[in-house]
Amino acid sequence: MRKLLHTVLLGLLGAGIVHIVVLMLVPEFSERDAWSRLAMASDLYKMTRLDAEAGGAPVVKSVDPLFYAAACRFDLAEGMVRVKAPGNVPFWSVSVYDRSGHNLYSFNDHSATGGVLDTVVLTPAQMIDVRRELPEELQGAIFVEAPIEEGIFVIRSFVPDDSWKPVVSQFLEQSSCQLQDY
Amino acid sequence: MLKNAFLTLVALAIAIGGGGGSVWYALKAQDGVGAIRIGQWTAFPEIGTQAADPYSKARVAREGVLALGRAEGLSFIAERDAGGDQLRRECAYTIEGSFPTARFWTLYAADQSLGVVDTDKPRLAALQSYQVLRQPDNSVIITVGNRPAPGNWLLTDGFGRMYFVLTFYDTPIASSTGLSDVTLPRIVKAGCNA
Repeated sequence: MRKLLHTVLLGLLGAGIVHIVVLMLVPEFSERDAWSRLAMASDLYKMTRLDAEAGGAPVVKSVDPLFYAAACRFDLAEGMVRVKAPGNVPFWSVSVYDRSGHNLYSFNDHSATGGVLDTVVLTPAQMIDVRRELPEELQGAIFVEAPIEEGIFVIRSFVPDDSWKPVVSQFLEQSSCQLQDY
Repeated sequence: MLKNAFLTLVALAIAIGGGGGSVWYALKAQDGVGAIRIGQWTAFPEIGTQAADPYSKARVAREGVLALGRAEGLSFIAERDAGGDQLRRECAYTIEGSFPTARFWTLYAADQSLGVVDTDKPRLAALQSYQVLRQPDNSVIITVGNRPAPGNWLLTDGFGRMYFVLTFYDTPIASSTGLSDVTLPRIVKAGCNA
């Protein structure tokens, strides 16, 4: 009897250790995280719609039904990435995530010059290079310094009612996510 | 000898089963570490950031969430009404009260996976602040149910558990200091179609 009690106590202690280990390992080994889901849907530097509107099940969960969203994956080790989207929509916001889906930086249309989405994501080292001589075409862009290599860029845009659907869809379809030569 | 082997097996079974099971349970529960509760509404302001607790991080990785950033907005989820009962799709509710400062907000009825409920109708089970009618004191009264209602009507339909997701966009309450004196609308059950 005593031995059984000993066993159960040992088991519970083990359960505690397993709990902590599993919890720590879930983010490392998850194949269902946002990066993996996007990787299955499309390539690097390719804007992919996240909402169900574009056909098929939504790629990434927790998108507001009154929003359309698009995302692209990038790798800053290959160079800085520039994201642009033309057009006027009621509201847009963007976020930069790292490989494991942590939100590093976000801003919305009120932060941008004239409400136009034109931004460059780059590492602090690339930022030093760019600062030395800012190219003419990047004058109006918002620079986001992120100390990462692989990451995800997400654009979200508000669809107040059905009449805005084509406009917002077009805004996301025409958005680009490209390696910027420098 | 056989007995020892059996006891070791039992200890291992408890350790692995209990450890794995408890993680699974903790990640499934809507309520968790790092949650902020205001009335019936729960928010996770830290979710999806580097500062999040290990449970939030594991949940983000497991569900493939891309959480809203601070400059984007903050989501609140309700799973119970003011009486403490779970929200049901077959019931009618009234959501009333004032909403905190934000450029706009959206409210939708969600199923277990927090996707919008499927009503089989062209009307979406969602409302946003530009389309709602307001009371003279700027508060809002929303009727939730499968029967059309005057004023603001949020359509829901079907059976089973339901959640309300209320998201504020471009709002000062997304910064943690702004959350201290926020009041959110009350959810009152109006009746059930049982």
